[in-house]
Amino acid sequence: MSDREKIESALEQFFADERLSRRRFLGRGASLGLMAGGLATAISACGSIEGVTKRRLGALQQAAAGVNHPKVPIGTWEFSNWPLYIDKKVLKTFNQRYGGTVKYVEDINDNYEFFGKVRQQLQDGAPIGRDIVVLTDYMASRWVSSGYTMPIDRKNVPNGKNLTATLRSPGWDPKRQYSLPWQTYATGLAYNVKLTGRELRSIREFFNPEWKGRVTVLSDWHDSAGLAMLMRGIDPTTATVDRYLEAIDYVGQQNSKGQFRRFTGNDYTTDLTKGNVAIAMAYSGDVVQLQSDNPNLRFVFPEEGAMLAIDNMMIPEKAAHPYAAEVMMNFVYEPEIAARICDYVNYISPVDGVREILLRTDPGVGRNQLIFPDKATLERCHGYPALSSGDELLCNQAMAKVTGA
Amino acid sequence: MSAISLRWRRSLLPWWFMAPALIWLIVFFAVPLFNQLNVSLMSGNADAGYHSTWAFHTYWDAIRTYHVQFLRSLEYAAIATVIDLIIAFPLAYFLAFRAGRWRNFLLLLVIMPFFVSYVLRTVAWQLILNDNGWVADRLRDIGLVSQHGRLLATSTAVITGIAYNFLPFMVLPLYVSLERMDRRLLEAATDLYASRVTAFRKVTVPLAIPGIFAGSLLCFIPACGDYVNAALLGTSRQYMIGNVVQSKYLDVLDYPTAAALSFILMLLILVGIALYGRVLGSRNLMEAAA
Amino acid sequence: MNARVRTWMLGIWSTAAILYLFIPIFIVVLFSFNDNRGRFNFTWNGFTLRHWAHPFRDPDLVTALRNSIEIGLLSTAVAVTLGTFLAMALVRYRFRGRGAIDLFVFLPMATPEVVMGAALLALFLVFNVSTGFVTILIAHVMFCLSYVVVTVRARLEGMDPHIEEAARDLGAGEMTTFWKVTLPMIAPGVAAAGVLAFALSVDDYVITSFNAGQTQTFPLFIFGATRQGVPAEVNVLATMLLIAVLLLMGLNVLLQRRLSRRDASGGGAEAVEEEPRPMVVTPAPSAAG
Repeated sequence: MSDREKIESALEQFFADERLSRRRFLGRGASLGLMAGGLATAISACGSIEGVTKRRLGALQQAAAGVNHPKVPIGTWEFSNWPLYIDKKVLKTFNQRYGGTVKYVEDINDNYEFFGKVRQQLQDGAPIGRDIVVLTDYMASRWVSSGYTMPIDRKNVPNGKNLTATLRSPGWDPKRQYSLPWQTYATGLAYNVKLTGRELRSIREFFNPEWKGRVTVLSDWHDSAGLAMLMRGIDPTTATVDRYLEAIDYVGQQNSKGQFRRFTGNDYTTDLTKGNVAIAMAYSGDVVQLQSDNPNLRFVFPEEGAMLAIDNMMIPEKAAHPYAAEVMMNFVYEPEIAARICDYVNYISPVDGVREILLRTDPGVGRNQLIFPDKATLERCHGYPALSSGDELLCNQAMAKVTGA
Repeated sequence: MSAISLRWRRSLLPWWFMAPALIWLIVFFAVPLFNQLNVSLMSGNADAGYHSTWAFHTYWDAIRTYHVQFLRSLEYAAIATVIDLIIAFPLAYFLAFRAGRWRNFLLLLVIMPFFVSYVLRTVAWQLILNDNGWVADRLRDIGLVSQHGRLLATSTAVITGIAYNFLPFMVLPLYVSLERMDRRLLEAATDLYASRVTAFRKVTVPLAIPGIFAGSLLCFIPACGDYVNAALLGTSRQYMIGNVVQSKYLDVLDYPTAAALSFILMLLILVGIALYGRVLGSRNLMEAAA
Repeated sequence: MNARVRTWMLGIWSTAAILYLFIPIFIVVLFSFNDNRGRFNFTWNGFTLRHWAHPFRDPDLVTALRNSIEIGLLSTAVAVTLGTFLAMALVRYRFRGRGAIDLFVFLPMATPEVVMGAALLALFLVFNVSTGFVTILIAHVMFCLSYVVVTVRARLEGMDPHIEEAARDLGAGEMTTFWKVTLPMIAPGVAAAGVLAFALSVDDYVITSFNAGQTQTFPLFIFGATRQGVPAEVNVLATMLLIAVLLLMGLNVLLQRRLSRRDASGGGAEAVEEEPRPMVVTPAPSAAG
């Protein structure tokens, strides 16, 4: 096709007549991307916008069983991660030990936004250029169930045995054939003890009229509705969408009573540190850092339980260097290396044996209960649910109504 | 023959001037936007997909559900624009007539805030306006804020943020149109009217009308669509239409409503521009006649 | 109220306005010297120079900043050139469709950023354009154009068109008239538009995030970093950028002062105040030449 013809045919698509308008040229096959993308990537020029399909878990598990990535030289390969999520000296150590060059790109700013950027290639079955990406549970599960990820050859990741027991079988990837946790962090109750005047233990405090107008909660319903459910003794990991909608409704009622100052993303940090609020729904890893600025801050894993978010390493479908990616996964599951990463980011490490090392090398971190919660606490932590994309959407809608947008 | 072709060429001339910019805007703005117009008429849901159905009711539903946010956007943007005009006019006047050789330097100072990313700027405002900060305390002392009142997470904070954000947009066009004025004209006017105030009102202001018009638009229009200030300095009770569009697009995946909301906003703004232009224009004529 | 008091008040008001613009900047600069204990940098913990010791330590941050500056300069150049011509056509000529184009130019400013960014991305995807540096550039030129047109128009409007006509009558061609007459007259407007376009480009987040691909810009980096706490090095780089721009401008002012001293006898503040407006001096001699 000549260039001119190409342009003409593309224009035709833009100004299509009835016949053409039924063509769906942006969403070929599974377009789960629409769900998550949320970006206009999902919008075809003049036709329709595709709905959502999903691959069955059984088929995925079967596909992963026979995976075999032979040993090859590492070469130059690419690792996409969130900004400031690794001590970069660790990458140098990797290059020195295994040869090759890791091109480490910090281009994941947001789960949805990142997916929007690469969705088209994934749907077309084209490589996205990265060999490892790091995404949070709810996004990771979508990638896996849509077939956007390559199975991990666990023979190349013997250190995978160090993965802490509680994280070994999430509902969406029960054998960890497609994903390995990078870091985890808990959502719980943070408070300023100078303002509350007493120590707090329970999720009920978010909704206690005593603190009316001096509370922030997270606008992400995975966290806020999840905690509200824990308060009522419901397990958020296995709960149905109806339970989530009820919980979101409850949060909404409390909001219309003026209980919350505002809904926040991770910008709750300023309000909490500066004393604008007494109580905040917060991430454990943040509060470790905030405490050094304001010693009155406390973080508790509430007695009813806490939510646990996991950021997962995955190999995108059609990645060019799966072996290199697996060597890296194996490398960061070495307790010594995991300890260096943990010492830098202060999140909850998914690797067993890290604490023992840090107790020697950096006892301040090693003894920190927020970075190394005890076993009983960890058992109170609940993972995000594996809802269908349609159900996720329902919850998004309900929460948007509550937060006023 | 040659006379006709000359006239023909002359009438084509403006199009030659405009062609590059217009083509750019048509290809990279109008065509994608036309696509959005189609999207706004689709119906369905994100799970099952959206299909073209000429669903005009989306527009009515959007207006019914979100008229509060629409009105709020217009209100906040209008107040911020007036504040900016009050702050900017003397500043622009100073830059145009009193700044001497430092003029360019000072102009640059005016847009300095943009070199500091909006995230850092807004966090800075969060720190400045915080409940226990110096500013809030002083305002409580003089009774502008009640004893248990706050600044942050109120409409005051949001409007302050917007006014701050778009102040440079007001200053630059004002300066540009004032600077053009012939000072001898002003001097003559002063002689003529004998009063500086009258001279200012009868000569300076009318001549500055293009600048006031441009500045108000550069300030008001983007302010209507702003969402950052409401999100970070306000609460959901201060959310503007930009926040709704953002949420419809990124969280709820309701593309038709998001597109419809955008088109309603654009229509409102265009009508506003036309009316404002007419008001300023006729005022301009009246002043000239007087 | 006499003239002197009035001038003083004008000066005070202007100073206050500029100070107001600088309040958050002051905080940003201040916190580049903060001896912060944790990863977050918004509680003052005492003075340190340690963030200034290795401002370029994080290569990704530096790349992001460099991308932002390059994109800012390039998109400003393109947008100002295209926009100035468009503004001139709108003001100088009467032709059919002028009113429509006039309103059309305002539309990009009125479009919410998400919709604009997303719509543009859809276009790139349909035409299989892979997103990156170039697509960011295209997007930035697109949204800067309106601002340029409006700003340059404010300058052109009401400006005496007879001067240009006189130049043409004296035998200057369209091009000569433009370069020697029109451009010098509208230069302040063009400069202001350029400054505005650069500022808009350097600070844009939403539209860029849709069309960036793997390319990282300064605002994108900072937004991503908020999850871990924005490092103080960001404040340092922002401060360095401010200082660099200020130094360049300061040098420019000094240079001009030197030149004007050499050119004109006298000089000094009064002389500058009395400096004739360009529109009065420029046309005749240059048009003749």
